[in-house]
Amino acid sequence: MTGFATLSALVIVPAVSAVIVLMIPERRRELVRPLGVVLSLLPVPLALLLFMDFDRGEAGFQFVERVVWIDRLGVAWHLGVDGISLLLVVLTTVLVPVALGASMRIDRRVRLFVAMNLLLEAGLIGVFLSLDLFLFFVFFEVILIPMTFIIGIWGSDNRIYAAIKFFLYTAFGSALMLAGIIALAFIHRDQTGELGFSYVAMLDLDLGSDVQRWLFGAFALAFAIKVPIFPLHTWLPDAHVEAPTAGSVLLAGVLLKLGTYGLLRFNLPLFPEATLDFVPLLATLAVIGIIYGAAVAIVQPDLKKLVAYSSVSHLGFIVLGTFALTSQGLQGGVVQMINHGLTTGALFLLVGIIYERRHTKIIADFGGLASSMPVFAGMFLFIAFASIGLPGLNGFVGEFLILMGSYPTLPYYTVVAAAGVILAAVYLLWAYERVFTGPLTDPANRRLPDLTMGEVLLFVPLVALIVLLGVYPKVALDVIGPSTDAVLSRVESATTYVAPEPGGSGTALFGGGE
Amino acid sequence: MTGVSYLAIAPELLLLVGAVLVLMVDVFVHPQPRIHGWITALTFASVAAAIGAQWHRIGIDGVGTSFGGTLFLHNLSVAARSILLVVAVLGVITAWEMLAGLGRRMAEGLSLVMVSTAGFMLMGASADLVMVFVALEIGSIALYVLAGIVRNSRAGDEAAMKYFLLGAFASAIFIYGGALAYAGTGTTNIVEAGTAMASYHTARPAVLLIGMALLVVGTGFKVTAAPFHSWAPDVYQGAPAGVVGFMAAAAKVGGFAALINILIIGFDRYQDAWADGLALLAAVSIVSGTLLAIQQSDLRRMLAYSGVAHAGFILTGITAGLAGSDGVLFYLATYSVMLVGAFAAVTVVSGPATSGSSFEEYRGLGKRSPLVAGVLAVLMIAMSGMPLTTGFFGKFQVFSSAWDGGYRWLVIVGLLSSVAAFYFYLRLVVLMYFRPADGRPDHPAPSGQMRLVLLFSAAATVVFGVFPSPLLGWLTQAGG
Repeated sequence: MTGFATLSALVIVPAVSAVIVLMIPERRRELVRPLGVVLSLLPVPLALLLFMDFDRGEAGFQFVERVVWIDRLGVAWHLGVDGISLLLVVLTTVLVPVALGASMRIDRRVRLFVAMNLLLEAGLIGVFLSLDLFLFFVFFEVILIPMTFIIGIWGSDNRIYAAIKFFLYTAFGSALMLAGIIALAFIHRDQTGELGFSYVAMLDLDLGSDVQRWLFGAFALAFAIKVPIFPLHTWLPDAHVEAPTAGSVLLAGVLLKLGTYGLLRFNLPLFPEATLDFVPLLATLAVIGIIYGAAVAIVQPDLKKLVAYSSVSHLGFIVLGTFALTSQGLQGGVVQMINHGLTTGALFLLVGIIYERRHTKIIADFGGLASSMPVFAGMFLFIAFASIGLPGLNGFVGEFLILMGSYPTLPYYTVVAAAGVILAAVYLLWAYERVFTGPLTDPANRRLPDLTMGEVLLFVPLVALIVLLGVYPKVALDVIGPSTDAVLSRVESATTYVAPEPGGSGTALFGGGE
Repeated sequence: MTGVSYLAIAPELLLLVGAVLVLMVDVFVHPQPRIHGWITALTFASVAAAIGAQWHRIGIDGVGTSFGGTLFLHNLSVAARSILLVVAVLGVITAWEMLAGLGRRMAEGLSLVMVSTAGFMLMGASADLVMVFVALEIGSIALYVLAGIVRNSRAGDEAAMKYFLLGAFASAIFIYGGALAYAGTGTTNIVEAGTAMASYHTARPAVLLIGMALLVVGTGFKVTAAPFHSWAPDVYQGAPAGVVGFMAAAAKVGGFAALINILIIGFDRYQDAWADGLALLAAVSIVSGTLLAIQQSDLRRMLAYSGVAHAGFILTGITAGLAGSDGVLFYLATYSVMLVGAFAAVTVVSGPATSGSSFEEYRGLGKRSPLVAGVLAVLMIAMSGMPLTTGFFGKFQVFSSAWDGGYRWLVIVGLLSSVAAFYFYLRLVVLMYFRPADGRPDHPAPSGQMRLVLLFSAAATVVFGVFPSPLLGWLTQAGG
């Protein structure tokens, strides 16, 4: 424990940085970009400090800070970090500078752009760290504004439609979650005598099974839209395709995780009985998402859309792993959240780079790029391998854990989901083949410049983490394990459910077993 | 404290003195607008002092009535006065350019604003249905005239006429409701009526309930609750831009304060009956206001319809009775400031004495007039109920009270409508920031005072949105 309020600093530093950037006078506008990147790097050492000081083996919240915010409602500025949120915070702090670094071509309203990205970072970190449901909701909702601005101002042709669709979709989900939060606060009052929004206190509430089912539904809908779980995913391709590169990177890299994070953080521990009831539904939708997302990705003519739909597929794995309710499934889910943030973030970066050079994302416009842009092609192939789950790279660890963890409880689902792994290879490698291999047919592709040093630099942290997590996943698993196991034992203690021992044969939750 | 306490009506008296002074000085001296400004400022300052004294008195002596039981001196009335004072100050500054443009009739305009403020302050303090009616008329008639004060504006004339006719109609309904309530309880006094209802079996509850319903309808007109809102879009659109914000906010504060007095203090015993009716009214207002606002292409009409929805949200808080009144006061205070601020922005963009304010005028405003666009964006985001603004916290409170009061369906309706409402609030933000200006001219920078109103409304919205506790404390400090 440090005396320094690290967690608050992680939220406040980007927010203050945003204000600083906005105050740069017009005549010094050339300062905006470099200063923005420097300011966005400030949270990185804070996050690393957190990672170093984090007590592995401790499942509960650490570095907890609590200051009363709105006294009469029992709302507090209540932050804490555990194994589930720690790596997501680190991921966020890494991706934001990368996203900003990739946006050097943005030349309209640069100040606003940098400020919006920094505000987004503050909100995202706030979501992961909040231990107060009111505070959580505030962050969860507030991030819509910078994201909508990023899509709506700096996006491509159809940006306004995409921005509004993104906003309304997600706002719809959170509206019902707000009702759920209000309901929980009053249940808290009825059982303890005063209103309160503390997450930790909510865990001790005694909720009937009907109440649990309603509340589970209200929370799950909000998160399912964010993930997005099939069939609530229709906002995602629009938002991704229209967003500028930085927007896509942060949207795919971090924003989607708010959904899976929320399910794991709130739905499972707060409503364990209802969780068991909802497993069949969510596992089914997850598997549909895996196959559907992959199948649609295969036929996309647009490279960016392909990556967007691949997210639907990948996030399906995370949901499946989470609702398999096994130690490995849950761990794999969290690991895969980080993995997806790294690989899909990198893929969007690559698509953004090729779009800047060639002003098209249509796969058919390319072909044979490997000869004009060899470094770029190599990078694409590497990231694609990571995304597909090549052993030795991070994607393998996550998917393997998820599939292994899901099999004991959801065998049939797992078998179908495993096909998604193969489909991932199909869409990514086929895309690679069409874009990079063969002869250079279109003369416009002949003189495309390869990755610059600056661009390579953007990939360095991502590649390093991809390899690290692939070769030595213990770094992550040591942090994640205790906290996900705590979630699992909470579900077990609140219900009759018994999770299978790792490697042993367990009872099937649904669709199998005796 | 039942005798005559002049402190209980000191703010109203001071406002009337100020109104008369402005008129008289004008007749005898024909001063510069600056002199009128000083008189107005002094009047408002003395009113603020009087309100402060009232808070202080309540803190010492507790709540009570005065003037033979016709006036409350309680938390709600003083809080309503405070809100109205802020609205009036911001309103006068916003309207200043329009008023100064009236030449010799400037004094008329100023005194009308003061009289109207006094009327609505009195309305929130009235403990007798007859008094409520008198106060309502004082406030409203001044507003009818203000709506048509720009003489050569046909839209203004139309607005004034519509406002007057429908307003008179509403007053008639209100007074009829008062008569029936009298028939049911034998008194027009709100407190005595409450005691009467609680102490013995009411011989004719049907008459009483119909009277109660008509009282709600009458005030429903003033606060633009659907389906009694039809005058609002035309009036907000037609009246001179400078006064609309004041007009809209003042009538809402006075109307809601009176409604709370009547229902929660007077008809306390029939809460089960009126709460259901009010919940229905709230749902109709929220849904129809939202749906109609989506279709507007004029910002003023949009604000009028969104005001209908906001009236519904406030009614949602009232359904919870006394428990919800803190949240209602917070909502009223913060929404009033947003409304005045939004119309201040309209005044800058469309001109102080104009009618109408098409969305097209706001295209690319983020580039052309960053301050106005920024403030308007903050206000729209706040009205839509985004966290870290007072709009969110206000909604959160009324929804919480309604949830606690058992009106869960209403909360769900309200929340879902809020999502739909994002669409039209966002649309303005989109127009201002996401669309190019297309060669529209830059706006003249807002004047110093106007800048003050704009910045104040945005700052108050954000600061009290992030730290609502102090405001909540001030509005409810005396308790009860």
